[in-house]
Amino acid sequence: MNAGYTLVICEKPDVARSVSDALSGGEYHRELVEGTTVFRFSRKDEEFVVCAAQGHVYGISDPTAERTVYPVFDIEWYPSNLVDERSTGAERRISAVRKLAAGASRFVNACDFDVEGETIGYNLLRYACGGKEEIALRATFSTLTEEDLVRAFDSLKPQMGLELARAGRIRHAIDFVWGVNLSRALSQSALGSGHRYRTVSIGRVQGPTLGFLAERELEIREFVPVPHWKVSGTFERGGERLMAGYSKERIETKMMAEKVRRECVGKVAVATALRRNAVQVGPPAPFNIGDLQKEAYRAFGYTPSRTLQIAERLYLSALISYPRTGSQRLPPSIKYRSIIQGLDRISEYSAYTAELLNKERKPVQGAKSDAAHPAIHPTGEKPRRPLQTSEADVFDLVVRRFLAAFGPPARRELTEATLAVGGHEFRLAGGRTVFLGWMKYYGKYAGYRDARVPLISEGDKFNVAGVTLEEKSEQRPPRYNQSSLLEKMEKEGIGTKATRAEIISTLVGRGYVSGESMEVTDLGLSVVETMTKYAPTVISTELTREIEGRLEAIEGGRGSEAELLRETVRSIAGQLAQLNVNEDVVGREIDSALTATVAKSFVLGKCPVCKTGNLKIIRSRATKKRFVGCSNYSNGCHASAPLPQKGTIRTASRPCALCSWPVVYVAGGRRPWRLCVNPNCPEKDGP
Amino acid sequence: MKCSICGREAATDLCRYHAEAKERVRDAYPLWVKAYGSIEWKDFLDNVKRNPQTGQWAKEIAELLEG
Repeated sequence: MNAGYTLVICEKPDVARSVSDALSGGEYHRELVEGTTVFRFSRKDEEFVVCAAQGHVYGISDPTAERTVYPVFDIEWYPSNLVDERSTGAERRISAVRKLAAGASRFVNACDFDVEGETIGYNLLRYACGGKEEIALRATFSTLTEEDLVRAFDSLKPQMGLELARAGRIRHAIDFVWGVNLSRALSQSALGSGHRYRTVSIGRVQGPTLGFLAERELEIREFVPVPHWKVSGTFERGGERLMAGYSKERIETKMMAEKVRRECVGKVAVATALRRNAVQVGPPAPFNIGDLQKEAYRAFGYTPSRTLQIAERLYLSALISYPRTGSQRLPPSIKYRSIIQGLDRISEYSAYTAELLNKERKPVQGAKSDAAHPAIHPTGEKPRRPLQTSEADVFDLVVRRFLAAFGPPARRELTEATLAVGGHEFRLAGGRTVFLGWMKYYGKYAGYRDARVPLISEGDKFNVAGVTLEEKSEQRPPRYNQSSLLEKMEKEGIGTKATRAEIISTLVGRGYVSGESMEVTDLGLSVVETMTKYAPTVISTELTREIEGRLEAIEGGRGSEAELLRETVRSIAGQLAQLNVNEDVVGREIDSALTATVAKSFVLGKCPVCKTGNLKIIRSRATKKRFVGCSNYSNGCHASAPLPQKGTIRTASRPCALCSWPVVYVAGGRRPWRLCVNPNCPEKDGP
Repeated sequence: MKCSICGREAATDLCRYHAEAKERVRDAYPLWVKAYGSIEWKDFLDNVKRNPQTGQWAKEIAELLEG
């Protein structure tokens, strides 16, 4: 008979409460242990105590913990509060688990079942519970519904997830060795060049990701467009007019475009080669986290990191399944019918669910799978609190994608007609959805538009009423946005589903990339240039991808962690030596880019008064207050304007439409507010 | 030596970015001549400079070459 209680370790306090609620039927006692809330209850004559971490409460550091020292290869796990001063709650949580472990006879790891969750649970069981990581049982669940949680605790598994923890721990070690050493080398080089200390970081995944952005940035900044012409014709038949584009979308020379016009205008065109195709369009695969992030960006403009945060809130509210999944598959074990029945209680979806409940349909499955969790799906629970707009958006997207997976293929009719005249061809193309199928469930997110083609038969004749030549400019390559960058990272196999969004945010936070447009700053370009010259491995996709592959092998129980760490250390040591030898020149380059980037961040835009200077944020030496002034002040331009003294200022992409002065967004309160800096802007006169 | 446009470290009067952009501008000229049938070097530079699709470094080079 067990003398003590079962100690359950969850990853987050909200999960601890949901677990306690589900297992006790709401009959639990809340206690404070070392200042943290724990839950105590009896279940089937057994006593349970449920506690929670708050994310990682252990982190890796080197014994010196001195940010100027490198290289460091002697590393260890420490309580997070000793590694990162912002991690204030870690000490209390570790103390609470340590105290509770003393009275426990059985241990259950109920952290999120993935690499990070397993690592969090493993570390607490190992360090705070005194080596219980091997004997602890594992509770695995993909939703926080009562049914799923009860099932998880009725089928606890021994020795499960240890490979995930090993892979997670070695991933943290490699990322620490890689990131800390190279970042310290870069920061120290810049410091040696006279710049005040500023972290210039580069991580294992951050490096190649910044490399993609920089490569594109160079293409954009060096781009010279070449003109070409687009030709379209207006055709008439008995009062009916229609427009058709020339068969060659792009005509390279003006002379050729004019020749087409000359040879067609005033002549008669004949309809040839009429084609009507019926195509079936199958439903999209169920969401994994990457797909959800991309779709939420497309539909609502939410950044990947924001979508992840929202999805996690919906998961903690038991409305959707665990979002950090790579799977695009919905296994029958999630009980399709019961989820659809649950959604039937939500009025927005009841029209669709009624249809699906009348038929036994199987969902479409995607190609990607994840052993730990199914694709993201609704739980069937109705929201018990009013959802914020962003939560309601993502919830709606998840529900509709889930319902769409059960829908039949849509049918579209595509029509293409060719109008031939004077040896040239013009094309008419259109398409319309003749059967909505899954698109009905996916609604506004389906994204197919109808373009009608008039009824035409082969041999029909049309007068060519006019031919228009439009001079076009070659478009420069588009900048990555947060969604397309995420897609690129996935395609290149770097980063994990859980970390990609955070890496993108770090690049913005470090000042390597600015604004929504993901424009690489001088500092970002300089870091890539320096790395390309002196430490090319750091921005090499190949090495990062290889490491990801080996980490995945360790997750699957294959491969040696020690060997991988040894090889990483060897590789990093070589790169550090190169940086060290060239410290002076590296320092000068980074320092000059840092200075340029900082200076640029104060520029708001062109001065609309003198037209040659830049309006900049200036801080008065006398009053210490900030204001806007022109860089041409010494040449006589006295354009100036006051600025709010509080809040962060970000320049809008376009100047004021009314007065051409720069527009800024001031952040500091609940949401950034827009301000045209011109105190005399007509906009301020009101409507 | 510093780049005469941006002040970056440079081996000649232009940094490697602006030197590359200069090549791109030069390479584009024959393509513009072919597209229009004929175009003066100065008109070409003016068009490149004013085109919103032109990259920042290419624009700066066009301004420099315009003198």
